[in-house]
Amino acid sequence: MSERDGYPGFAPEHDAPIPYMQRIRDYYWALGYGAPYRWAHYAEVPFQPLQKPLSRCRIALITTAAPYQPGKGDQGPGAPYNAAAKFYTVYSGDAAADHDLRISHVAIDRAHTTAEDCNTWFPLPQLRRCAAAGRIGEVAPRFHGAPTNRSHRTTIERDCPELLARCRADAVDAAVLAAN
Amino acid sequence: MCHQTVSLAARHLEENGIATIVMGCAKDIVEHCGVARFLFSDFPLGNAAGRPKDPQSQAFTLELALRVLESAPAPRTTVQSPLRWSPDASWKLDYSNIDRLSPEEIRRRRDEFDRQKEIAKMGRDEPQAAR
Repeated sequence: MSERDGYPGFAPEHDAPIPYMQRIRDYYWALGYGAPYRWAHYAEVPFQPLQKPLSRCRIALITTAAPYQPGKGDQGPGAPYNAAAKFYTVYSGDAAADHDLRISHVAIDRAHTTAEDCNTWFPLPQLRRCAAAGRIGEVAPRFHGAPTNRSHRTTIERDCPELLARCRADAVDAAVLAAN
Repeated sequence: MCHQTVSLAARHLEENGIATIVMGCAKDIVEHCGVARFLFSDFPLGNAAGRPKDPQSQAFTLELALRVLESAPAPRTTVQSPLRWSPDASWKLDYSNIDRLSPEEIRRRRDEFDRQKEIAKMGRDEPQAAR
């Protein structure tokens, strides 16, 4: 091994978190779309400490997955990107029931995962198990779906307040947000 | 987009008194936005809650998220899950990597992107079914 390869035991250079913002910028530039997307960016970050032990907290789950919609094209597993399956307003579902949620409408890694097991993006059954085991106080009565709008204004001014209102209505102490 | 959406939602909840934990696979997007607590899984996008068909990995991932939720000392706390997607990290070179696409494939993707954009536009204008 030469000096250029680094010290024995070092991981390969590419074995680091994927630089998505740079990749996506270069990708759309090469496809011919000029102005790069401006990602949301803040210098200050709000922080709300937990007010009580988790074993007494009511916890909500927030997802960007979409309810399966028959007639809206292939939604997986293994589906190509499907904009017809997108949703545009916040929705909620009964957290005590099981749901068929899909992720064909978002830019998951289609080369290396197939979206065949919804527990990899929607951990509601696992959260219920945590409640049954006493790890958390309880699962909030509803989970919430957050639409992935490209417009910052729509997300910040319409969808975020709606999610907050629904979490408040359910008197939740904390939220788990699972991204895709 | 999806990681950005949940990051913005988490920030809004935190500002209004609700503690949050974001589970995700796109480290740069979440940290660029800035959230209180983040459990990062270095997995392909779509697996923020653990490995497919691996209940043990899913239980481990949510438990780690809960531990970060209860113990983060300050905002911008990121914990990286120790789980590995595969011993070979070359999967990370593929996602939206323009260097790996032929000119024909780039053209095909551009056409497909324009087509999906039109579909999304029509969907936005439709009345919503899912509430």
